[in-house]
Amino acid sequence: MIWSKDETLSRDQFTKIQEKRLSETVHSAYHNVPHYKSKLQEAGLEPSDIRTLDDLAKLPFTVKDDLRANYPFGLFAVPQKDVVRYHASSGTTGKPTVVGYTKNDITTWTELIARMVTMAGVTAHDIAQVSFGYGLFTGAFGLHQGLEHVGAAVIPMSSGNTEKQIMIMKDFGTTALIGTPSYGLHMAEVAREMGIDPKKDLKVRLGLFGGEGSTEAMRRELNDAWGLFATENYGMSELIGPGVSGECQCLNGMHIFEDHFIPEIINPDTGKVLGPGESGELIITPITKEALPLLRYRTKDITSLHYEKCECGRTTVRMAKIHGRTDDMLILGGVNVFPSQIEEVLFNIEGIGPHYQIKVYKKGYLDRIEIDVELIDEDFLDSFTLLENLNQTIRGKLRTVLGIDAKVNLHEPRTLARSEGKAKRVIDLREGK
Amino acid sequence: MLIKQLSVFIENKKGTLANLTGALVKNNLDIRAIAVFDTNEFGIVRLVVDNPDKALEVLKKEGFIAKLSRVIAIEPEDAPGSLNKIFNILSEHDINIDYIYSFVMRLHELPYIAFKVDKLEKAVEILTANGINVVNSEEIRGK
Ligand SMILES: [Zn+2]
Repeated sequence: MIWSKDETLSRDQFTKIQEKRLSETVHSAYHNVPHYKSKLQEAGLEPSDIRTLDDLAKLPFTVKDDLRANYPFGLFAVPQKDVVRYHASSGTTGKPTVVGYTKNDITTWTELIARMVTMAGVTAHDIAQVSFGYGLFTGAFGLHQGLEHVGAAVIPMSSGNTEKQIMIMKDFGTTALIGTPSYGLHMAEVAREMGIDPKKDLKVRLGLFGGEGSTEAMRRELNDAWGLFATENYGMSELIGPGVSGECQCLNGMHIFEDHFIPEIINPDTGKVLGPGESGELIITPITKEALPLLRYRTKDITSLHYEKCECGRTTVRMAKIHGRTDDMLILGGVNVFPSQIEEVLFNIEGIGPHYQIKVYKKGYLDRIEIDVELIDEDFLDSFTLLENLNQTIRGKLRTVLGIDAKVNLHEPRTLARSEGKAKRVIDLREGK
Repeated sequence: MLIKQLSVFIENKKGTLANLTGALVKNNLDIRAIAVFDTNEFGIVRLVVDNPDKALEVLKKEGFIAKLSRVIAIEPEDAPGSLNKIFNILSEHDINIDYIYSFVMRLHELPYIAFKVDKLEKAVEILTANGINVVNSEEIRGK
């Protein structure tokens, strides 16, 4: 089912809507936010210079530091009385970045999530357990509103207290699970420990995962562990929260809601705009947000855009699975590696569990990488050679696939840190990191 | 006769062996033999206990990766060359030894030898035919 007719417009119709709304957004930003006025003036631009999608590339980028520098409300385009909700992203260092919503913004957000969950297969018959943390983080509230809007019954479970999650899931008959993929895997593990087979004893048929990147291997693992159909969705609090894009059941990438967001792909080093299918940093310009307009926001996420028609009937552009972030790319002895690539390799090796941790440090002038994994298959205990071979297999695959030489440490099961939200996979101990 | 042996994965760090043996002791399991095969980072502990099935259950519950497998235990004669004789017999019959360790039983003078070979049943048959005393699990249990 397709929630809105605005997901099936022609390219011309999208362009028309986007150009009109872009112009409105630029005007609002220019006249209501001093930061944008001075930015545009520096670039020698008037709001009226931005009329078509081709004009978009003239606009300067907005980055996360702009939000920090204008903490908390400096980039807001509406008076505080018009703001009905605040959220903030968890800054790992210093101040968080604050976002605000007008009444219309909340309505827009709710509508976008309704489209997104419908695309993932959720209907009014579903019982949806929201296992994102409720609070300043946008994940839980975003999904919550949209799920209610399509008529699903929402269990606002929040994250953590995993055994209770499983109990509620069993007793309430949860059919859709909402959370981060790493927490999804952790929950399955805890369920099995409680003597509950998520596949047989629970009714979860859909998994809507987001809040962190994931790989195809992780999707398979989630599907197998739960017996569910996993889809991924994308967003970030600055842009609106979740609800920027999501996968339909054809799994051809994540459909971007183009009547509300204009996506571009750029070369992150030069800022040059790249064509369809080319891989680079995703830039998003939200074009209907009232409280916090953003012009060409640099997401730091690396992906590509695909305009071919999707079998689901939607005509919106699709973005490929995020295959890294410009700021979590590891440079190891001159080789560029994304943690997600390491993850993909590890997931395809039999005998080790889905949790891992990457440690990077310097030895002399050389970058060293260590990867901690958990042994989960007792059949490797038959001989020492098998265990050593497993270790060599992991090392060998990392070498051939990624060109890195990593030391692999096998650990006892359940000894690596588990997360209830975003998993912290990389510890970089090199100086200046 | 084959006896049941436990193989347990351990990380080579402080306290892991104590955790392992502690879990067994807490559940009144008696360790009859223990051998550690390790590198700098990890190891496999081989254990012979009085109640291997219960021990497996206990260890799994404690979160260890553990497996039951069968090994041969023999009681070599107290004579020069007796071990050499056993190895020769196995070798002549094309049976490979994966690993080997010895263990002492209380109230028993000589150590037993436990070993894992690739063709277990055949090995028992051949050793018994050659007059070698293969220990059975009742003796290990001490009953
Ligand atoms: Zn589609």
